[in-house]
Amino acid sequence: MDVVDLARTQFAVTGSLHFLFVVLTLGLAPLVAIMHTRWARSGRPVHEAMTRFWGQVYVINYALGIVTGLVMEFQFGLTWSGLTRYAGDVFGAPLAMETLIAFFLESTFLGLWIFGWGRLPRWAHVACIWAVTLTAYASAFFIMVANSFLQNPAGAVVGGGRMHLTDFGALLTNKALVFSFPHVIGAGLFTGGMVLVGASAWRLRRRTPEVEFFTRSLRTGVVTAAVGIFLAMGFGYAQFGGVAEGKFGSGRDPLAAVGLGFMIEIGQLLGLVVLLVMLPMISVLPRLRWTHPILIAMTPLPFVLSILGWMAREIGRQPWMIWERLTVADALSPGLTSGMVTGSLIGFAAVLGLLAVVDYVLIARVIRRGPYGLDLGATADETRAPALSY
Amino acid sequence: MEVIWFAVFTVLLAGYFALEGFDLGVGLLLPVLGRTRANRDRMVAAVAPYVLANEVWLVAVAGTLFGVYPLLEHDVLFGLYPLVVAMLLCWVLRDAGLWFRRRLDGALWRGFWDGAIAFGSLGLSVGWGMTLYAAATGFAASPVHPVGLMLGVVVTLLFAFHGWTFLGWRLPGVFGVTRAGRVLLGTALVAALPALGVLGGAMPYLLAHSAPPATLNVLSLMVLPFAPIMLGAQVWVWRTFRPGKDAVRLLPSFF
Repeated sequence: MDVVDLARTQFAVTGSLHFLFVVLTLGLAPLVAIMHTRWARSGRPVHEAMTRFWGQVYVINYALGIVTGLVMEFQFGLTWSGLTRYAGDVFGAPLAMETLIAFFLESTFLGLWIFGWGRLPRWAHVACIWAVTLTAYASAFFIMVANSFLQNPAGAVVGGGRMHLTDFGALLTNKALVFSFPHVIGAGLFTGGMVLVGASAWRLRRRTPEVEFFTRSLRTGVVTAAVGIFLAMGFGYAQFGGVAEGKFGSGRDPLAAVGLGFMIEIGQLLGLVVLLVMLPMISVLPRLRWTHPILIAMTPLPFVLSILGWMAREIGRQPWMIWERLTVADALSPGLTSGMVTGSLIGFAAVLGLLAVVDYVLIARVIRRGPYGLDLGATADETRAPALSY
Repeated sequence: MEVIWFAVFTVLLAGYFALEGFDLGVGLLLPVLGRTRANRDRMVAAVAPYVLANEVWLVAVAGTLFGVYPLLEHDVLFGLYPLVVAMLLCWVLRDAGLWFRRRLDGALWRGFWDGAIAFGSLGLSVGWGMTLYAAATGFAASPVHPVGLMLGVVVTLLFAFHGWTFLGWRLPGVFGVTRAGRVLLGTALVAALPALGVLGGAMPYLLAHSAPPATLNVLSLMVLPFAPIMLGAQVWVWRTFRPGKDAVRLLPSFF
């Protein structure tokens, strides 16, 4: 592999890992916020248990979202400084806004939410998780603004060999953005919903004593997944109006068309199952034990679809970094050698890959144990003891 | 406008040193002061509510570097390629240690992730000293230089002292010291001094290499209105977790 292939591989590996955790964050954040709001209103133990259990899954997942995101952000300067040199005046603005307006607040409020248990007034604590949700979505928005600029360089002109920002509004109303952002949000909700469904089916299959808890969770998951896949499919097809001419045509990297084709096929099938089977059966699903292995088996599919979608969008842009303006090869940092990329690729892939595996094992362990001995919101007198009794 | 964004950049980087400095310092002190599991739990629990609000200052520094000094990003990050990669991996390990250490109970598991926190904190602290040395030479010299390494040791010691002061403020008497809030403020300023010194020297260069006015205007319009909210959220963290009536309630903590 030459240095361009190595650098692309590094971005693909770290970016895919990052999005696997981000897509679940986007889906779980609003669900946990709704559960927490319900608990604040009703004060019922089942609502508290749901907030803490799904909240624990959410924050363990969040850990990998953060560390992979750190690597993503610095990678632009390490490997792709040709992009910054050429278009930093345009592309840098949404990325700067993402860190300053969105992620800065998201991280601060998440710390307040995780450690504010028993310290913050009830509604202030609820406000924190809603602030985390809002800023997570703002974060996704600005990243999609930046990515859409690469797909369709609107709002900028070329002068003196560099791109200059002329119309920030055009960045925000980019035709490559307006349907892709809700598509990503739909994918996030679909993923979060399916994780609730799969995990609840697992608990119910194993004859959990918390029948009400996981019946509620499973139904919440089905409704969320239905809303999510509806948005993802609707805005997915709507995107074709904004796709550059010939992006998936002949003579281009076939992997992009493969990713697109499989995503649409699997996505449509899942859409039919969720909207026409699971949603009408929502009241009986928790009791129909034979469906549970199927529901569990479906849990990984939203993650696969997400990666296929990014393959279509990103590989489809080849060989351009910025469509018809800057090639990927020209976007590399000048002077970057294969040795440098190989070294950092091995380091990032090994460390982040291992951490990702550990993280998923920890999430699976939380689900296997059920809502007992949760660290999130634990108080001194209930350490490692059952988290609830109702 | 260039001056305003230079001030923002300076506040963010100095803020990172002053705030994350004590997180890294406590991480450095884990093997020194945390001889028992209970003590290590107390030390981590003391910094835990601040870490997410502190480390994010560096993410904001990187974002500002991207948006305001796009032409410099190459010099800073690419110029120090192996060092930046190593520091990123240290940061990742430190964070993973914090998030994972209390998820399982085994002694081996806890020991491994506590080790990751200490190792990551050490790597980041030394790395910052070397980075500042390289920045002071205009990225002309290799950071692996006796002076760079010496600065790494100095920053490490500063952070450790700052972390020790923080423990004396948040957990008075538990680790042999009791410190007032203004002493912590003092060590925060000292921890930020190396960064402030380098940025002060680089001021003319940074002002001359800012993004064009069109970009800065958009950034100002979009970001500056949020500055009070960002500051307010930080203040809220410090008000919520200030020591006092519930210092004994530090355990159990999520981290």
